[in-house]
Amino acid sequence: MRLILRNLGFYLLAFWASITLNFVLPRFMPGDPVSRMFAQAQGTMQPDQIAQLRKLFGLDNRPLWEQYVSYVKSVFTGDLGISITRFPTPVTDVIGSQIGWTLLLGGVALVVAAVLGNLLGIVAAWRRGGVLDSAFPPLLIFVGSFPYFWLAMGALYLFGVSLNWFPLRHAYDVGLTPGFNGEFLSNVGTHLVLPALTIVLVSIGGWMLGMRNTMIATAAEDYITMAEAKGLSPSRIMFRYAARNALLPSVTNFGMALGFVVGGALLTEVVFAYPGIGYQLLMAVQGLDYPLMQGIFLTITAAVLIANFLVDLVYVRLDPRVRVR
Amino acid sequence: MAPSRIPPRRPQVVLRAVTATAAAALVLSACTGGSGAAGAGDTSGNQLLTIPREDLATFTRNFNPLSPQAAPMTLQAVYEPLAVHSMADAKDTPWLATTWEQAKDGRSLTFTLREGVKWSDGQALTADDVVYTFELQKKVLGGFDYLDKVTAVDAHTVKFSFNKAFSTAFYEISGHYILPKHIWSKVKDPAKFTNPNPVGTGPYTQIEKFQSQSYELRKNPDYWQPAKQQIAGIQMLAFSGNDSANIAFTNGEVDWTQSFIPDIEKSFVAKDKKHNHYWFPATGAMINWQLNTTKAPFDDPAVRKALSMAVDRDQITKVAMNGYAEPADCTGLARTYDKWRDTSLAASCTWTKDDTDAAAKALDAAGYKESGGKRKLKNGKNFTLDISVGSASSDWISVANIIKQDLAKVGITATVKTPDWSAVSSSYNTGTFDTGIVWSNNGATPYEYFRGVMSTKMVQPVGKQATENYHRFGDKKADKLIDAFAAATSESAQRRQIDGLQELYNKDAPVVPLFTGPEWGAYTNARFTGWPTEENPYATLGNRNGSTILVLTSLKPVKG
Repeated sequence: MRLILRNLGFYLLAFWASITLNFVLPRFMPGDPVSRMFAQAQGTMQPDQIAQLRKLFGLDNRPLWEQYVSYVKSVFTGDLGISITRFPTPVTDVIGSQIGWTLLLGGVALVVAAVLGNLLGIVAAWRRGGVLDSAFPPLLIFVGSFPYFWLAMGALYLFGVSLNWFPLRHAYDVGLTPGFNGEFLSNVGTHLVLPALTIVLVSIGGWMLGMRNTMIATAAEDYITMAEAKGLSPSRIMFRYAARNALLPSVTNFGMALGFVVGGALLTEVVFAYPGIGYQLLMAVQGLDYPLMQGIFLTITAAVLIANFLVDLVYVRLDPRVRVR
Repeated sequence: MAPSRIPPRRPQVVLRAVTATAAAALVLSACTGGSGAAGAGDTSGNQLLTIPREDLATFTRNFNPLSPQAAPMTLQAVYEPLAVHSMADAKDTPWLATTWEQAKDGRSLTFTLREGVKWSDGQALTADDVVYTFELQKKVLGGFDYLDKVTAVDAHTVKFSFNKAFSTAFYEISGHYILPKHIWSKVKDPAKFTNPNPVGTGPYTQIEKFQSQSYELRKNPDYWQPAKQQIAGIQMLAFSGNDSANIAFTNGEVDWTQSFIPDIEKSFVAKDKKHNHYWFPATGAMINWQLNTTKAPFDDPAVRKALSMAVDRDQITKVAMNGYAEPADCTGLARTYDKWRDTSLAASCTWTKDDTDAAAKALDAAGYKESGGKRKLKNGKNFTLDISVGSASSDWISVANIIKQDLAKVGITATVKTPDWSAVSSSYNTGTFDTGIVWSNNGATPYEYFRGVMSTKMVQPVGKQATENYHRFGDKKADKLIDAFAAATSESAQRRQIDGLQELYNKDAPVVPLFTGPEWGAYTNARFTGWPTEENPYATLGNRNGSTILVLTSLKPVKG
C-alpha cells in the first residue's frame, strides 16, 4: 500500500510537469491563430476584422503567469475553453464527440494485435525451427517496416476499391442513425475491419518477437524440464508453466500501448477518414488552436499516466518480487 | 504439487477470446459488400448532390454565418446576398436586390429589394432585415469602417451612407449575406450562437440527418424561385485529406469537388470520359514572388526587375502548375481583371519576359557584378537569398525550385526553405523573411490587389504584425490613385486610376508577379447536368465561393 501511495505522489508530480509543458509549448510556436486564419483565407478576409476576431476568440494578452494560473484552475474544473478551429464549440465537446471512435479503433487493434502476436510468439518459441518460427517473424517484420501510409492506402485500394469487400471511409454508413441495434453495430464493425487490420499488421510483429524471445529464455528454465519429466501434457507446460512466466514484459508493453491508444492513430484516421481525435490534433496544431491542442494533449498525458499507474498495480499482483524492497 | 497453485483457467480464456475475435472478424467480413457506394448511380430524380469536404474530418452543427468556422454551405445554400458576383465572367446577378443605384457623389448606395422573398419560416424579407444584418456584423465582427449609416427608406429600399466616397463598397455590401432580424434579435450572444436550425432565404435551408461525418440540406419550402430548386437536396461528406476524398470522387460517389487531384486527365477523366470533367479557369489571385523590400538589395527596383527577368514563367506554369496557370505580365493583373488590363503596356513588357542574358546585364548595371561564377553584393559577399514556402504546398515548392535553378544561371544561390506554413506566415507577418511565394488579395476589381502590394497604408515596420503587404513596399503616388479609384463613381474615371496604377507597378515592380492561380473544380454529370464550363462560364467550379449559389440553382438531376 505504501508503495502505491509513493507511486501516486510521483504520478501527481509527473502530471503537473506535463500540464505545465502543455501550457508552455504551444506558446513558443510562431504566429497566432488569427493571423494564421487570415493567411489561410488568402485575401478573402478584411484586415480590420482581425482585432474583432481576436476579441471574439477571447485570446488574452494577460501576463503569462496569470494565464497559467487560470489554465491550471480550468484543468481541474474540467473547463478546457472554446476551440478556435471549431468555434464556438467547447473543447470538451470536440474531444468528447470523437474520442470514442479513437478508443474503439485503437483498442480493438491493440487487443487483437497483442493477443494474436503473443499467441504466435508462444507457439513459435515452443516449436523452434518450425514453419511458424522460421517464416512468420521475418514476414511480419517485413510488413511492419512498410511506411504505414503506403500500406494503409494499398489495403484500401485492394480490399476497398478493387474487391469492394469493405467500406472505404467513415465509422458507419452515411445516413444511418446511431443506436444500439444489430444493424448499426454490424455496420460499425465492417467499417472497423480495414483500419484496425492495417494497425494490427504493422504492430503484430513486435508482439510476436518479444513473446517468442522471452519464451525461449523461460523454456530453458529447470522447472520446465522438471514438468516435462513429470510427464505433463505439452500444451499444459507451454501455457501454464512457460507462457505465464514469459508474459510479464508483454503486460508492461500492453499497459504502455493502452495509454497511447488515446493519442489516436493519426495516419489511419487520415487514410480511412475515420472520425477520431488524431486528425483533429493535426488540425489544431496547424490552426494554432491552443485550447483544443492543450485539451487533446491533456487527455493523452492523463491516459498515459493512468495506464502506467494501472500497470504498476497489476505488476504488484502478478510479480511478487516487485513488492519486496 | 506445484501445478495446483497455478490459476487453472487463464490460458483457455485467452484462447477463447482469440477464437471469438477471429470468428467475429470472419462474420463481419462475410456480411459486407457493396456498402461503400452510397449514392453512386442513383438517377431516380431524387438523388442528392453530393459534395466532399477534404479539409474537415468531422462537422459541427454550427450554421452561424458570423462564425469563421460555420458549417459548409451556410453562406452558399442557406443565406443569400443582395447580388451575386461571379469571378468567372465578372458579372453581377441581381439576387435579393433587383436594382441598385450609386449616389452622384459616391457617398451612398441604395438597393431595392426583391418583392415576395420569404424566409424559410414563412416570414417576409424586409429592409429591416438588411439594416439589422449590417448593424450586427459591425457589432460582432467589425469591418465596414466607411459605413456611416444603414437606413430602411421603406419596406423594400435600403440606403447605405458612407463617410467618404467609396465605390468599391458595392462589392462588399452586395455580396454580404442577409440574416432574419426576427430570429437573430432574440439571440443572446450572436457570436457564440451555433444556429443549429437556420432560417434563411436560400434554396436549401432544412438540415437533416446531421452527423459528425455527413449531413443533408433539403429544400426551403418558401424559396422565392422554386423553378430553380431542381435538385432534391445537398449531401455533405467529411474527409480528412485529399487522398480519401479523391478516392470517393474517382469512384463516382460524389458529384462535385474542388480538392486538388494530381494528374486529373488520367486519374479522373479517363475513368469515364463521357461524364467526368474538370475546368480550372484562371480566376484566382495573382501568385507573386515577394521580395522583402526592407532588406538590401531587394529595396532596389532594378534588382527586383532583374531577378524577375531571370525567372522562366512558362516553365513554372507548365511544370510546377501542370499547365493549369497563366503566366503573369508586367501589369501585375491576374486574368480575372482582363477588362482592366492596359494591353499596350502588357505588350511592351520587358521585366516579366524570361531572358537570362538581360537579367545578368541588368544586375551588372545595378552594380552587382559576377566574379568566379558567383554574383557579388556591393559589400563583396556572395549574392544569396532564401525562398520560403509552406511545406504543405507541393506545387509552390516546385515553383520555388524552378526559380532557384533560374537564379543559378545568373550566379545567385537561392535556398528553398520549406518549414510548416505557420512558421512561414509568421515570418511574413513580422517581415523577417527574405523572399517567398505569396498569394494576393482577390476582389471584384483590381483595387484590393494594388492596395495590397503598393499602398503605404498597409506597410508595417519590421517586427510589427502585417496582415498584407508582407514585402513592405509603399508608394505615395499609388495611395493617391487607389483613393481616387475608390472615390470615382464612373467606370471611365476608375479606368484612369487603374491605368495609372499599372504604369506605376511597371515602374516600381513592388513584387515579382508569377502567374494567375487557377480555381480547381471537377464534376461528374452522370447524376446532375447544367455545370458551368468554359463555353458557359456563368460561375466557377469552386463550391465555397459567392458564385456557388448560381451553380446550385442551375443544376438539374438526371432521370432514369
